[in-house]
Amino acid sequence: MEGVAMKLPSFKSLAPNAISIGHRSFSRIRRSSSLSVYSAASSSATVATNSESVSLGHRVRKDFRILHQEVNGSKLVYLDSAATSQKPAVVLEALQNYYEFYNSNVHRGIHYLSAKATDEFELARKKVARFINASDSKEIVFTRNATEAINLVAYSWGLLNLKPGDEVILTVAEHHSCIVPWQLVSEKTGAVLKYVMLNEDEVPDVDKLREMINPKTKLVAVHHVSNVLASCLPIEEIVVCAHNVGAKVLVDACQSVPHMVVDVQKLNADFLVASSHKMCGPTGIGFLYGKSDLLHSMPPFLGGGEMISDVFLDHSTYAEPPSRFEAGTPAIGEAIALGAAVDYLSEIGMPKIHEYEVELGKYLYEKLSSLPDVRIYGPRPSESVHRGALCSFNVEGLHPTDLATFLDQQHGVAIRSGHHCAQPLHRYLGVNASARASLYFYNTKEDVDSFIVALADTVSFFNSFK
Amino acid sequence: MAAAMSSTCCASSLRLVPIKQTFFCSVQFPAKSLIKRPLKPSELPSFRRTIVTFQKISTRTVPPPSAASSSSPSDSGNLEELPPKLQEIVKLFQSVQLPKAKYEQLLFYGKNLKPLDSQFKTRENKVEGCVSQVWVRAFFDEQRNVVYEADSDSLLTKGLAALLVQGLSGRPVPEILRLTPDFAVLLGLQQSLSPSRNNGFLNMLKLMQKKALLLEVKGEEDSSSGESSEFSFVPTPETNGGASVVDKDTESQPSLVEDLGTQEIEDSVSGSDAIALGSRGVRIRETLEKELNPVELKVDDVSYQHAGHAAVRGSAGYDGETHFNLRIVSDAFQGKSLVKRHRLIYDLLQEELKSGLHALSIVAKTPAEV
Repeated sequence: MEGVAMKLPSFKSLAPNAISIGHRSFSRIRRSSSLSVYSAASSSATVATNSESVSLGHRVRKDFRILHQEVNGSKLVYLDSAATSQKPAVVLEALQNYYEFYNSNVHRGIHYLSAKATDEFELARKKVARFINASDSKEIVFTRNATEAINLVAYSWGLLNLKPGDEVILTVAEHHSCIVPWQLVSEKTGAVLKYVMLNEDEVPDVDKLREMINPKTKLVAVHHVSNVLASCLPIEEIVVCAHNVGAKVLVDACQSVPHMVVDVQKLNADFLVASSHKMCGPTGIGFLYGKSDLLHSMPPFLGGGEMISDVFLDHSTYAEPPSRFEAGTPAIGEAIALGAAVDYLSEIGMPKIHEYEVELGKYLYEKLSSLPDVRIYGPRPSESVHRGALCSFNVEGLHPTDLATFLDQQHGVAIRSGHHCAQPLHRYLGVNASARASLYFYNTKEDVDSFIVALADTVSFFNSFK
Repeated sequence: MAAAMSSTCCASSLRLVPIKQTFFCSVQFPAKSLIKRPLKPSELPSFRRTIVTFQKISTRTVPPPSAASSSSPSDSGNLEELPPKLQEIVKLFQSVQLPKAKYEQLLFYGKNLKPLDSQFKTRENKVEGCVSQVWVRAFFDEQRNVVYEADSDSLLTKGLAALLVQGLSGRPVPEILRLTPDFAVLLGLQQSLSPSRNNGFLNMLKLMQKKALLLEVKGEEDSSSGESSEFSFVPTPETNGGASVVDKDTESQPSLVEDLGTQEIEDSVSGSDAIALGSRGVRIRETLEKELNPVELKVDDVSYQHAGHAAVRGSAGYDGETHFNLRIVSDAFQGKSLVKRHRLIYDLLQEELKSGLHALSIVAKTPAEV
């Protein structure tokens, strides 16, 4: 690691513009990312003292130029971060810098640029590993996104380990990416899928889940935070139950890693997946965390360059993980930009982000539920129940698509309408579709207020036609 | 319908729309100028940010007037080409300028849309690629014009469905098939512009066209096998808001059965026509003989069977020759699907169709198939 630090000053001279680009106040962050300071803890304190009077959302907004625009004649109010997050300037600059100053293929070359690119790429891997407290950066496999990461586990681990009659436990609230791969693989292996339904709080029934776990269970694949219900599952508990019978646990952390502290040591999950684009990083990159010995036991997923050791005509030998699962040229710039996103988030501090979102999410829930005829899905927030900062809802007698259309066209409010890649869940809830407003730390109380006013206007407009 | 009307993240107030040729001005311009002459660059309306226009569109080129090339599919939005009711609807929307008012107009249409009986809310009638649920049903009226019914659980989609139902019902199949979705731009409804697969409007139109074609094909198949397919879509006495021209006289049904009975008899008579042909019949015969070189050709004027229709009486070019049964056996059909054969014949008889010929009942075979 010292070796990397020593090289970086020369990187700095190679890319002088990298430091001077930008006029934003978070130059602190840019410097720290290019000098690759590992601990962001020291700088977050200075950030905090500035923030007393201004909310986090207001403070960070200037880093997100995309938020400062008008759509259809109104100010943009972006409430669709659960679908994809916006990127701060530092992340965009990191991507630009990569291509402008040291773009080169990784792991293969000898020359200067290639060494630079490789260093930064592997550094990004280390950053991600640290972000989720993995014990080694080799436990991070870069993939295209979380969906590909789950498919990797399904086709690599699943095909090898699932036998006829083995059980895989999912919940009815899973995202399609954590249902379909298991369907595909269970067809091939003869394994059986079992689903946990919701309890009366509209949360997957953890008691039932515990009951369902039995010696035939080989895998439990569940979300950490639901992208529709906003509920949070007690992963640590689930892992204990699963490990008791020798089952593995895969955690879909797409809606948790961007919003709160996720510590894989604490959770003790066997696999964990997340997408960069939901956590202020670019699209095209995501990662799989897998425990070292597990990854070592898994056969390759995709075949090609990078993942091999020796290639002969009739057979090949394969590299150690994580390379074993990273065939072909990776999304190098994107991985590096993800590293920059991790730095950005760490600079603010995930506990702070989480705290802010809990408060803002509660505000959203309260305001939304105060409107008549609004039905919000998922658990009610309370002292013991913390919801994610999103609300999927329906308005009695109105179709969510109508709401979303009018909100966008007349008020510039961006929400999502549809099944949010959770058709089984919607079927279970007895609806075709729902509307969803989701927040991130760059949203403000004013955003929520604008949304509520716009929604009330929208509802009254449509109601006047019934 | 998913958010095809998504707010694109462009900084400018103009929204580039992938329409190949045609330029559409903002709704302030009267509809006439759209067709008659090209707009010079100096006449381009300025899309000021503060104007809350429903559409903020610009295209890359200003094309020459398209009056000459009327039938090419890439030719968009020649207003006068549209079915009459659809023209009216488009003009109405163009006259409404405020986006909110357009929505109101749309919702108003939707409100007046006759609800679809739940037995017709089947998978085949469902529009794919819609987040909201949309069903479309199609059937023939007695003149073999297509009648549509539709429904949706989303109010906006219902409005769009109502537009299409009103605009297209009562029109003959070829006219419906000729329609391209570009006219949607003239409505000024942004959500109809996106070509994405989630665009309910485009998908609805496609389904309606597909159903029209299927009706046509099925109608021909059934009439060639001596059965009527029209009874499976029992013509309901009332249709959507008077948009179609269905004869409300249900007594025409039994006569249809008789017609087909006599047709069966006539089918077995080869060669000569059962009734002496008038001028149109002769023209049809001559055209088909010249173009298709048939081994066998029977042209039967069965207009008398439909003579009671109010719609027929008083229509332009009414000379009593409105309905024909054709039986053609020709090598020209070799290698062509049923649909292609019928289209071939329709294309040959374009002039007749335009000047009062209402319907053709076609049997088209190759010599090998007889």
